Amino acid sequence: MIRFLLRRVALILPTFIGVTLLSFMLIRLVPGDPIEIRFGERGISAERLAELRHEAGFDRPLWRQFVAYEAQVAQGDLGTSVVTHDSVWGEFITLFPATIELSVCAILFAIAIGLPLGVIAAVRRGSVFDYGLMGLSVTGASMPIFWWGLMMILVFSVALGWTPVSGRISDAVYVVPWSGFMLIDAWYSDDAGAVRSALSHLILPTIVLGTIPLATIARMTRSSMLEVLGEDYIRTARAKGLGTLRVVVVHALRNALIPVVTVIGLQVGTLLGGAILTETVFSWPGVGHWLIESIQRRDYPVLQGGTLLVATLVMLVNLGVDLAYGFLNPRIRR
Amino acid sequence: MPLLEVRDLAVAFPTARGTFRAVDGVEMVVEAGEVLCVVGESGSGKSVSMLAAMGLIGWPGRVSAGTLRFDGTDLLTLPPRRRRRLVGRDMAMIFQEPMSSLNPCYPVGWQVGEALRVHHAVPRAEVRGRVVELLGKVGIPAPATRLGAFPHQMSGGMNQRVMIAMAISCNPRLLIADEPTTALDVTIQKQILDLLLGLQRERGMGLVLITHDMGVVAETAQRVQVMYAGQMVEEAPTAELFAAPRHPYTAALLEALPERALGRRRLPTIPGVVPGIADRPGGCLFNPRCRFATPRCLAEVPKLAGPAGRRARCHYPLDAAGRPTGGHPDAAA
Ligand SMILES: Nc1ncnc2c1ncn2[C@@H]1O[C@H](COP(=O)(O)OP(=O)(O)O)[C@@H](O)[C@H]1O
Ligand SMILES: [Mg+2]
Repeated sequence: MIRFLLRRVALILPTFIGVTLLSFMLIRLVPGDPIEIRFGERGISAERLAELRHEAGFDRPLWRQFVAYEAQVAQGDLGTSVVTHDSVWGEFITLFPATIELSVCAILFAIAIGLPLGVIAAVRRGSVFDYGLMGLSVTGASMPIFWWGLMMILVFSVALGWTPVSGRISDAVYVVPWSGFMLIDAWYSDDAGAVRSALSHLILPTIVLGTIPLATIARMTRSSMLEVLGEDYIRTARAKGLGTLRVVVVHALRNALIPVVTVIGLQVGTLLGGAILTETVFSWPGVGHWLIESIQRRDYPVLQGGTLLVATLVMLVNLGVDLAYGFLNPRIRR
Repeated sequence: MPLLEVRDLAVAFPTARGTFRAVDGVEMVVEAGEVLCVVGESGSGKSVSMLAAMGLIGWPGRVSAGTLRFDGTDLLTLPPRRRRRLVGRDMAMIFQEPMSSLNPCYPVGWQVGEALRVHHAVPRAEVRGRVVELLGKVGIPAPATRLGAFPHQMSGGMNQRVMIAMAISCNPRLLIADEPTTALDVTIQKQILDLLLGLQRERGMGLVLITHDMGVVAETAQRVQVMYAGQMVEEAPTAELFAAPRHPYTAALLEALPERALGRRRLPTIPGVVPGIADRPGGCLFNPRCRFATPRCLAEVPKLAGPAGRRARCHYPLDAAGRPTGGHPDAAA
């Protein structure tokens, strides 16, 4: 297990360099740099533009800019936004809780619904429920988030008026931003309606972001359960006279979870990608929304630093998944 | 009253080509404290019929029976909940593959204790001590240190001992052992068999030992049942079966024993294989491989016939000299 962990850690550095290189190159492929985007329309002179570019270092060769950036990152400095002049790290930390809140709710929603559905489908394999669920999950797993989010808004916010259209909490409520997690902050505020408001803002984005993981988890759980239910040790468990519930939950699910946990972990990358779209649709003030804006503004440091931070996060989660895997599966524990 | 009484047991599995009757017309009576062997080639329905008796045939298999009683209790009409109270406590089973029959996610101590806890066989506080005692009983050295071991950390033989400990944990009156030694090294096979027989004698359990090893049968059983293609084809006290088999299939099985083929250059074999889903013949299921088959055997399904406990499913049961009777053309000649 230790050696396994060390090997994983050794992979982190090359991944870091790869991720920064990619985001560095890709954003520069988009026409226009930050200076041009900010001042271009105000019609400043070509000399002034060149001067500003020189100050920001954008006239240096690309490879030198990249090396300089890597050196800066290596010292733990992600730089400042060229638009707001706030530090990238500071902005990230302020916005990140909103993204975590949304992602955690989405994955919990996906697990809470997807896991039991998959288990029931496997136990009742071949039934109408099984076929119906598998049909739905194919649709769910390929749901385009943008369209799905807009549809949900049209139905539940616009037509039915049940939920707000955007944001994290109603403007009428003031909540002290203590933890950055709206549900927690609302809970500790004096305003009784705050929690309800926060929840009602959270529900649609959670469903939209949770749909793809839900479908994936349900399908994976089902196939994993089906395999496990055919194992000899399940027959042994039934030969002890155990009830179906105990056989399924204690003996089968524990084994079936091993591949499912991996799938859930792999969903985190997908989830953060989906969060970017979901945050945009619902104007959710999180990291995804921030990154999209940084692209529009050609805010190089924000895009590069933000991407790097998100990539780090995905790596950490995957590492956590591997640890959970070792915990669930005694065969790879040492 | 017999411990286990099975009449007319049938198990059918739906397949793409229609229903496959993996077991059909199995009869079995096990008395308390006796050892009954069930023999037959692979695929002859030994496991399926015993799983059916235990109530372990899962969807989509279908079990039907004329009689299925355990110690006088009708298992066919018993609600599933009540039946589960018997299974694992009064009737237990161990399987062919010890490695895959134990749950890889739980320590063996926990797995052995589970039946004790679920059936409330001993007070909770005593479960641990009881598990240590059981593991010692089945010959696991330093049992107290093995409680936390996982199945993958132990050998096949040790795992089979754990399976046995698990099966006998609630003092069952009937133990069904489905080829308990087939997957093990030859050196271990004898140890496991001796362990099972020792426990059987000590506790007076009924033991149904499934095997395809005639040598094991000769050494262990009081009575034998021979199965072929899902049917019971012959039953007899062990000595009688070896001395004078009635069914041509039994006779062929015995001829294939190395110790009976002394002086011959090649070991006789039974040509062909047990018919599977696709190739079940009409009439007697053994007719394609039977050296005495007549047109009647191809057309007419034989019934179990003969005195109780000594029946055979053959139109022309063999006599003591191995000649077909019942008006067989060879006999007339
Ligand atoms: N779940 C199942 N579905 C379909 N066929 C089965 C199933 N289980 C067993 N069979 C078939 O039933 C027959 C008897 O199998 P089995 O009882 O395992 O034989 P054995 O005598 O070797 O223990 C075989 O032909 C096998 O293919
Ligand atoms: Mg078998």
